[in-house]
Amino acid sequence: MCSAHAAVRHLLGEFHEPNVIAVIDMEAGLEHLSRGTDRNADVLLVVAEPYFKALETARRCVELGRELKIQRVAALANKFRSPSELEAVRKYAGAHDIDVLAEIPYDEKIQRADLAGSALELNEVSCARAATEKIAVALGL
Amino acid sequence: MKIAVAGKGGSGKTTVVGMLARLLTHRGHEVWAIDADSNPNLAATIGVPAETRKKITPLEAGILKETANEKGQRTMRLAIPPREVAQKFGLPVADRLTLLLMGTVDHAGAG
Repeated sequence: MCSAHAAVRHLLGEFHEPNVIAVIDMEAGLEHLSRGTDRNADVLLVVAEPYFKALETARRCVELGRELKIQRVAALANKFRSPSELEAVRKYAGAHDIDVLAEIPYDEKIQRADLAGSALELNEVSCARAATEKIAVALGL
Repeated sequence: MKIAVAGKGGSGKTTVVGMLARLLTHRGHEVWAIDADSNPNLAATIGVPAETRKKITPLEAGILKETANEKGQRTMRLAIPPREVAQKFGLPVADRLTLLLMGTVDHAGAG
């Protein structure tokens, strides 16, 4: 697997296409950060669900991203089902000086699409979609 | 711009990447969605049919070559420019949207 990680690391490192946006789905957990696979990313978005272990993982990802000197490191609050769950993520992020770039609520349509193994229809009205648009806006895209 | 998306397993990384990639495409950008997970699910999430998913050629070490840097140290770099990598390995999913897949684990215990 080392060579596959190296291929991605070099592709990102030597990628200088001003008109292309690369969005990279990293492996779960921290290994890609310790290997430096994401070293050449401009932005690291850390997805955090509202429960303690996910928040702890997100915090470690943010710390490693900062160590790698990625220009912008931020969290996305994801799949919260209530205002109190969102508040818990905000509170944790605030306590650890983590910027929350977007807040994406739990969306039943996504779960249904996931279960069916199909893509979410973007045309469907979806609060998750609206939140995802905010990521683009926050990044000036 | 290069946007890496990380987090705990099950946190929704792939769904976020899929939605973000497609939304950015809708907003007029050219997007390369790169699945760097050794358990790849991005193709399904952005709507690539199962038969097509099997035909994607993963990025492999073959895109790298060994060269010597100015100090004479051996170092790896891309053997072909990134755009050529995308053309050769990428799957055109929709207008302005290309999917790239990192090499995956085919066999347990193969290192």
